Amino acid sequence: MENSKEDYKIQSFDPETQNLLKTALKDPSSVDLEKVSSVIVEQSLKDQVFSKEAGRICYTIVQAEAKVNNGSIFRRNLLNRLQQEFQAREETRSRSLQEWVCFVTFICNIFDYLKVNNMPMMALVHPVYDCLFRLAQADSLKNEEEVDCLVLQLHRIGDQLERMSAQRMDDLFFLLRDGFLLEEGLGSMARLLLLEILEFRAGGWQLSDTAQKYYYSEVAD
Amino acid sequence: MSFTLSSRHYDDRRTDESRSRGPSRWSHCRKRGADGNLRPQGDPDSTVFDDAEKRGKGRRCTDSRPASFTTPESGGPVSRCADWGSEVEEEEMRSGVLRDMQRYRRRILANDFNERERKTSSGSSDSRDSPIPAEMETDEVVLLRRQKQINYGKNTLAYDRYIREVPKHLRQPGIHPRTPNKFKKYSRRSWDQQIKLWRVKLHAWDPPAQEGSDLQAIEEIDLDDIMETESGMTNPSESGANTQQPKVCKTSASVPEDSCSGTPSKVMKTELSFDLEMCLNEGDGESKWLSL
Repeated sequence: MENSKEDYKIQSFDPETQNLLKTALKDPSSVDLEKVSSVIVEQSLKDQVFSKEAGRICYTIVQAEAKVNNGSIFRRNLLNRLQQEFQAREETRSRSLQEWVCFVTFICNIFDYLKVNNMPMMALVHPVYDCLFRLAQADSLKNEEEVDCLVLQLHRIGDQLERMSAQRMDDLFFLLRDGFLLEEGLGSMARLLLLEILEFRAGGWQLSDTAQKYYYSEVAD
Repeated sequence: MSFTLSSRHYDDRRTDESRSRGPSRWSHCRKRGADGNLRPQGDPDSTVFDDAEKRGKGRRCTDSRPASFTTPESGGPVSRCADWGSEVEEEEMRSGVLRDMQRYRRRILANDFNERERKTSSGSSDSRDSPIPAEMETDEVVLLRRQKQINYGKNTLAYDRYIREVPKHLRQPGIHPRTPNKFKKYSRRSWDQQIKLWRVKLHAWDPPAQEGSDLQAIEEIDLDDIMETESGMTNPSESGANTQQPKVCKTSASVPEDSCSGTPSKVMKTELSFDLEMCLNEGDGESKWLSL
């Protein structure tokens, strides 16, 4: 089942790129890993589905490269490419909301999957926070797509982020509470998402059974 | 109202975002990950994280984020690189060293305990109660510097060949190279000498020389400074060791005995493809990706 999932992801590329990625997974030192990293970043910025799972493929390539020759060329290029995108994030956002949302999803996914000696990468903690803070600004909160992205990321990596910097998580949630309570022109869907994430964190990054029922059972019925 | 307050607060923070605009995104200083650890799984009692968090928090209070938090322990080696790739590599090396240190301490504790057990059962008493000998090196700056030197040595084809050809249990002290113990107290001079000797011994496993490789050029840049320190050195004690290794050297017959004289050819990466195949064959069965 897992295999078919990977297949799907790779199949969203053209045949030549599929080949490149497959070779990178098998034999990382025989391909241009800088090219591989930019192919993955570029696809992530275009493809929302891919950006949610791209961390996994990156993780596998990192592992493969470490195993073959103890190298980290791919990771280095990936992170530096990611850093460029991070620095250009405001332009990205004003150019294309969709690309911006994809970028945030991707960087959070990389944060989630790539670890250094089993620890989250410190270098990414504040950049990831910066992105989430951006999503918590008034203009973003009025945009359902961005709110959806924000709460998805917090569901996935909120607890890890809080352990790395509790202060910034507190600051972020001040913004979210204010946004929920005071922001005018917020759609009811956005309010619902915000309310849920507030409860989610308050419950120690999980929903109580009753909250679960409240937010999700209606949909199931 | 508080929303506007906090949002202004946030804007302040964002003004210094230009900080991380790094110089080169590809500093050619290293060809692979800082400490070459293969992401060992599970080391639950690590406190690296706690330290990092504490440091992180201390920093955050000022709300003016420093140009880089790659060296939050201040007094550590100053980072020359502001790109994320290098940042993470330094992070990897630092946490690797801290993890090694805990491992080393546990080992000392365990040894100490066993020793005491033995002594008490045989009736003699032992008043040693300090679990960590005073001779242990704990200065992070020193440890990181030493780790970097070790990494340079391990980051060679010769080392890869050595560990492949001589399994750990067959290595004999005095004959086979042994990585210096970074946790023992040594003078700087003594440590540097140990590293030199180790590197010289490792050269016995250099791959056979080949000409016309462009990879060689890259390698020379990487190891240039190290080569220099080594080239002037003569070491009579090594010649004995070299003669004992004819069997491991049989593939490198073209390498002269005195390969420690500093010619750059001895660290060529010309056999990359060969190494690769070896490694791939080993790992073939494991990766589900291969079946794609």
